[in-house]
Amino acid sequence: MTIFRFVLKRFLRNPANILLVTLLPIAVVFMPPSGWFPLPMGFQYFGMVLMFIAARMGTIVMEDRIKGTLLRIGLAPVKHSQYLWQTLAAFALILVGVSGIVVALGTAVHGNRLVAPGTLFLVFSCFSIASLGFSLAWFSLFRNREGAVATITGVIPLMMMLGGIMWPVQAMPSLFQRLAMLVPTYWLTKGLLSAADGARLLGLGLPLGLMLLYSAAFVLLGSMRRLI
Amino acid sequence: MVIARMSDVVKRYGTHLVLDNVSMEMGEGEIVGLLGPNGAGKTTLLYALTGLIGVDSGEIELFGRPLEDNPLETKGRIGFVTQEVSVFHDLTARENLEFFGGIYGLRGASLKQRVQQALETVGLTEYANRLPSRFSGGMSRRLNIACALVHEPELIIMDEPTVGVDPQSRRHILETVRELNRQGTTVLYTTHYMEEVQAIASRVIILDQGHIIAEGTISDLVEQIRHEERIRLEVTDVTEPLLQNLRSLEGVKGVTVEGRVVHITTQVGSGNLDRVLAAASKAGGVLWINAERPTLEDVFLTLTGKQLRDGGEE
Repeated sequence: MTIFRFVLKRFLRNPANILLVTLLPIAVVFMPPSGWFPLPMGFQYFGMVLMFIAARMGTIVMEDRIKGTLLRIGLAPVKHSQYLWQTLAAFALILVGVSGIVVALGTAVHGNRLVAPGTLFLVFSCFSIASLGFSLAWFSLFRNREGAVATITGVIPLMMMLGGIMWPVQAMPSLFQRLAMLVPTYWLTKGLLSAADGARLLGLGLPLGLMLLYSAAFVLLGSMRRLI
Repeated sequence: MVIARMSDVVKRYGTHLVLDNVSMEMGEGEIVGLLGPNGAGKTTLLYALTGLIGVDSGEIELFGRPLEDNPLETKGRIGFVTQEVSVFHDLTARENLEFFGGIYGLRGASLKQRVQQALETVGLTEYANRLPSRFSGGMSRRLNIACALVHEPELIIMDEPTVGVDPQSRRHILETVRELNRQGTTVLYTTHYMEEVQAIASRVIILDQGHIIAEGTISDLVEQIRHEERIRLEVTDVTEPLLQNLRSLEGVKGVTVEGRVVHITTQVGSGNLDRVLAAASKAGGVLWINAERPTLEDVFLTLTGKQLRDGGEE
């Protein structure tokens, strides 16, 4: 578990990362109730925060690739799959931990207005993993760090819009409504709305399952990038 | 014992043939210098040898077994010093070594001990708790080397480990290589600096356009062009009649000019030193003249037609 331990150490050592995983999520908890969304506004947008944190994690993997440290790991007696799962497990632990803290704080702040906190935690956890996978795949497509960061910063809000986080999917033209089903944020919205509606685990099967499926597909895509 | 063997290895990138039926061997305890101009295929050869990239055909054996038999176990016996400094800049020197030692399976007290030894070997003990971003180029290179030897590999492959370092660090690195070799480690050393190969290598392999074009001890290789000598002449004024005069001397194979210095390649024993001096004196003032026996650099130039250090990276 050397890789897992050092991924955690490196991420949590950087003050900018600490601010990213504390300030933004805490700010989210204290946002006022939303107009149309059945959850406090912060929980409507928390998915976007998770995606930005995952994007930061993706830059770390990309920097390791650019600087040749991944190549060096490739020369060690470690399989690429081992490197990948230990890295993703460490990042997932941080994202799931942040989700747990946000849901727990949200329960304390919003009380009964935050319905089904356990289910919300599950939805955010699955979305965390999908966000990580997306970030890994995104950064694997680029050779230039700045280009990758600039574009993902624009793409995340677009995915949120298309996925129905900012306004109901039904408010968009029918073509966009169909396209929306192709982005993981759509299934995050579905999951959150179902959770707010009091759905049990069985009712959440489709959004959770699809988010995990997206995760697997993205991780597969991201792991295909050659080291040299 | 043969540590590494490549037999008829072919590697293509698309239609570009990078390694063309390369065959070589390295014996235990050797320091082999791998030389080649830019684009010769040196780094590809190193990556193929370690199993980092696959080859199109041919066989590779390490430690007496085919590479594909147990690639992970084999990788654990190799240390690779990458061309770029590839360490984590957000971990201290000690933490970098703990990480790389850890992924090679070292744990607990043995990891601590090996980290300490590696720091001592490269002379970074007092900087162990500093981040590499605060290191000079030479110190970063030394850390890069330490990361490759923390697990005590039997074979160390060094891909241009001294690029861009100060003379003091270069001396330190070369001394480290010699010391590792004295302790029994086999070393494959790639460089653009001929003098480094002359200083440390027990055998040299010259690679050009994917072929091994020469192989042997330095004296063996120099022997191959023993029939030539180089006369270096510095004059106050290089004129065309002087050059024509020099070219027309019997046994002269080539004349090149570099500022006020004229390089003349001539057959050994032709007695041309006197004739060159006479011709130059007639044409004007002679500042300096000497005759040299061929060096490894001359061997390289003769075999490849290129200078070893002609800029850029492979």
